Amino acid sequence: MFVNLDEAIKLIQEDKLLHIAADESLLKQLPKGKWIAGTTPYFITEQGGITCKDKLFVDEISCAVDYKIMVYDRSNIFDITKDAYPNGLTILIMPYASDVAVYYAKEAPNADDLFMNPTIGWISGYELGTDSYPKVYDGINGESYDDKAVAMHICLPDDKVASVGIVNIFNTDENDTKIEFTEDALTVSKCLVDGKEVNLSDYIAENKIDTHLPLVADYNCVLVNVSIKSISEENKAIDLFAPVFAGKEYRFARSVSNYETSFKERLKELANVKPIFSCNCILNYLYGELEGKATPPFAGPVTFGEVAYQLLNQTLVYVEIISK
Amino acid sequence: MELDLKFEKIITKQVKYETTNLGLNMLIARLQRKYAANQSPEELNTCRQEMKAFFEKYASILAKDIETLKKL
Repeated sequence: MFVNLDEAIKLIQEDKLLHIAADESLLKQLPKGKWIAGTTPYFITEQGGITCKDKLFVDEISCAVDYKIMVYDRSNIFDITKDAYPNGLTILIMPYASDVAVYYAKEAPNADDLFMNPTIGWISGYELGTDSYPKVYDGINGESYDDKAVAMHICLPDDKVASVGIVNIFNTDENDTKIEFTEDALTVSKCLVDGKEVNLSDYIAENKIDTHLPLVADYNCVLVNVSIKSISEENKAIDLFAPVFAGKEYRFARSVSNYETSFKERLKELANVKPIFSCNCILNYLYGELEGKATPPFAGPVTFGEVAYQLLNQTLVYVEIISK
Repeated sequence: MELDLKFEKIITKQVKYETTNLGLNMLIARLQRKYAANQSPEELNTCRQEMKAFFEKYASILAKDIETLKKL
């Protein structure tokens, strides 16, 4: 729900368990309580996408039978798998470009037991074009962090289970050029294009590839995007929003003519989903011009990265609670 | 376990198995990549145990997958 500050404070004072996304100017006014939060001024509400600094997006986690809120840094982030409840769900928020987020991005797919516990979440951000910093909040003590991750571990009733899903509007054609990398990396220069070593930056320029399109890998029929952050003309290096991995085959996504229509097509089959949390990527919001456009049944923060077990890009992530 | 051999075939990419469960799809991709990097019997056993643990934990929501795998 998209609420004003007074309404958010009331929910906290009613002792509700909450996940919150909002601008820092609002989050720092919240009283202590059972909540975690991350910064963003961008949202996709039930009424459509909006940039807003005077309202908060709040998810009430009413399904929890118990909870714990924990703060992690790079040295212990993968303790989240040990700290999770045996039948539960973990909501994880990490500040954009923080050490812990970069480390999680690169190492999560190799972490033991990562897939044994549903973990979803997002990378907190800030208003683009300003010099703000992304932050996360631990509502228990009201502390904010720009270098740590905050997690809410949620214990579910025995007859319920969390089911994580993603919506990726991008597609590839398996006949398209195959791109591979020789090491796991967040910054790349060389790659193998159909087995031949080339500089990826040169390849993009020579083939006039739209860098708004992500590289896409097939994870057993789940398409996982890696978005391009920037290209350095000087050293021909490409910074990515999520790492690429050796041993995976990537292809550039086919272009999307209309993001809103593409989402609507993909969301038709998910009309009956009742998400307790969802988020969508800032790149979809910007490139897809989603301001004023809704993506029902999903509403939530617009984020600088999405977590569905591992870090994803240009993807809508959601979780619902279903009966066993 | 009845499914152990099926798990091995999936991990070693002898068969392709798709599911609607996101976590399982990502786990399969992870184990296939892990095994491809070290194709030893010990690694295969480790990967199989990981998949087995996933199926044991989520047996209640993987009933359809279990039935399909038995016929694979």
